[in-house]
Amino acid sequence: MSTPAPKPAASGASLPLSPSTAFEPGGAGAAIRQSNLWKDAWYRYIRNRAALVAGAVFVAVLLYCIIWPIVSPYDPNDVEFADARQGPSLAHPLGTDNFGRDLLTRTALGGRISIGIGFAATFVILAIGVAYGSISGLAGGHLDNGMMRFLDALYGLPYLPFAIITLAILGEATFWAMVIALSIATWFTTARIVRGQIITLKQNDYVRAAGTLGARWHRVLLRHLLPNTLGVLVIAVFLELPGVILGEAFLSFIGLGIGPPDASWGSMAQEGYETYRVFPLLIIIPSVAIATLILCANFIADGLRDALDPRTRET
Amino acid sequence: MTGFILRRLLWTIPVILLVILFTFVLMRQIEGNPFRRSERSVPESIQQNLERKYGLDRPWYVQYAKVVKGVFTFDLGPSLVLRNRDVNDIVRTHFPPSLELGALAMTFALVFGIPLGMLSALKANTIFDYSAMFISNVGFAVPSFLVSTLLIYFFALQWGEWTGLPTSGWDSWESKVLPTIALGLGPMAYFARLTRGTMLETLQQDYIRTARAKGLRWRRVVVVHTLRNSLIPVVTAAGPILGFLITGSFIVEQIFAIPGIGAYYVTAVTARDYSVVMGLTVLLALVVIIANLVVDILYGVLDPRTRDARA
Repeated sequence: MSTPAPKPAASGASLPLSPSTAFEPGGAGAAIRQSNLWKDAWYRYIRNRAALVAGAVFVAVLLYCIIWPIVSPYDPNDVEFADARQGPSLAHPLGTDNFGRDLLTRTALGGRISIGIGFAATFVILAIGVAYGSISGLAGGHLDNGMMRFLDALYGLPYLPFAIITLAILGEATFWAMVIALSIATWFTTARIVRGQIITLKQNDYVRAAGTLGARWHRVLLRHLLPNTLGVLVIAVFLELPGVILGEAFLSFIGLGIGPPDASWGSMAQEGYETYRVFPLLIIIPSVAIATLILCANFIADGLRDALDPRTRET
Repeated sequence: MTGFILRRLLWTIPVILLVILFTFVLMRQIEGNPFRRSERSVPESIQQNLERKYGLDRPWYVQYAKVVKGVFTFDLGPSLVLRNRDVNDIVRTHFPPSLELGALAMTFALVFGIPLGMLSALKANTIFDYSAMFISNVGFAVPSFLVSTLLIYFFALQWGEWTGLPTSGWDSWESKVLPTIALGLGPMAYFARLTRGTMLETLQQDYIRTARAKGLRWRRVVVVHTLRNSLIPVVTAAGPILGFLITGSFIVEQIFAIPGIGAYYVTAVTARDYSVVMGLTVLLALVVIIANLVVDILYGVLDPRTRDARA
């Protein structure tokens, strides 16, 4: 009773290994690397050195913002006037601000807010853009024409003024208020890109075949069209992100951002701007953080475009 | 071509109506009203009189019609908060600096960005190319408030005696140098990158090889054959960027104390000054619309194929 038991367990354990080992030894199929779009894209991406470095720095900044506030020995809101406006030292690697708060910790927390708002707003932009663009592209005809004309009209909206009005409507500048303000007048380009993609994809034989076989429109959309726009959308994340992060910084800089004691990189820069003649470090640190992130996002977007969509390099 | 321009011009009318409607609807969603700002709030009867005077007690469509009429007759009405000023007045004094700053920054961006991108493409993968692209990438990423602050810190404060540039203001040409660079640096970097990319692509085309093979001078090939075709994406990008430079220069205006529209806009929104916000928003939207219109027309000039396709 106890002796046969190990046998199925052993074969079960070896089972996951068998597909890969079965293909590895010589034979006709050995030279062909099992591959798909994403694997190929990954290989192309890591061969692009600038994009690879940018990606690594980007991840490092994200990890710093997430992890450092937890392990930091300083409380980010701990006011210590005796230590105010110190330059970099061993105790405070980035120095301290006007209230003697540790800048390394404050910057990480500011990054959480800036990057958090940035990603959230980017996803809202993509969600609206995908919904609007795919409906318009899929419907075609008069509806498509009308929706595109409406979009043309929306292009006339100046983005910062509408963000300011939106913030006034929502009252307090909370995280989600910022997200809404930053996405309300910025999703138009994404909608256009998605529509263009859908219209091109619609012509493909497999999509027509699906339609002929009786697939409903939502199945065609979710199963055949949208998965094929995924590459473009991944690129769009990193194309939109810089604009959104800069927008958040601008709004915070003119005093409409998230209020104290919380601070984003933009409001930290605003604090720094007030004392830049005596202590320029305070504006330089958050600005450099923003610049680093945007620089990385640009290189990542370039790398992703070359990796996912090799035919269209520069737009 | 004339028909194309006419149709495009007519199309701006519904666009303007829509922008007015949007601003109108959004403004009414903000809580509070222009007359209740002071600590000593006015008595109910005076409040009602004020609302009647400015037509705020009328139904929304009457108010909307009034705004539309005001926009098309260039009479934007009185400010609701600044009792002795009307919106036309504010536009007349505060819009020109914003417009001028945007135009100067755009000129700066085009004049330096396109040649930089061209040279980078022609000397692709040399030290010049790499350093130009490095500068462009950094210039594109650094936020304008840091650029402004650094420019003031070094060129106006540290080396001020030598450069003679003031830290703020908008009266002499010297005072316009630093704000122009601060606002134009980002777009300049963007144009440089864009021009380089499209130039490199155009240089690969068969007609360039043909032009060279038939013995045209290299300069002619670059200017006539390559540049003209490479500029199409630049022109496409230029419209929205010009609009953004004029409508989005709030920070640079604030830092350099330029009496532009930016500071006014934020105060007007927080003070619920409906007529000022409406007037300024429509004006800013008009700037964006006109910029896009000019781009579409230029597009037709540069690429004749698009004339019929785009109505």
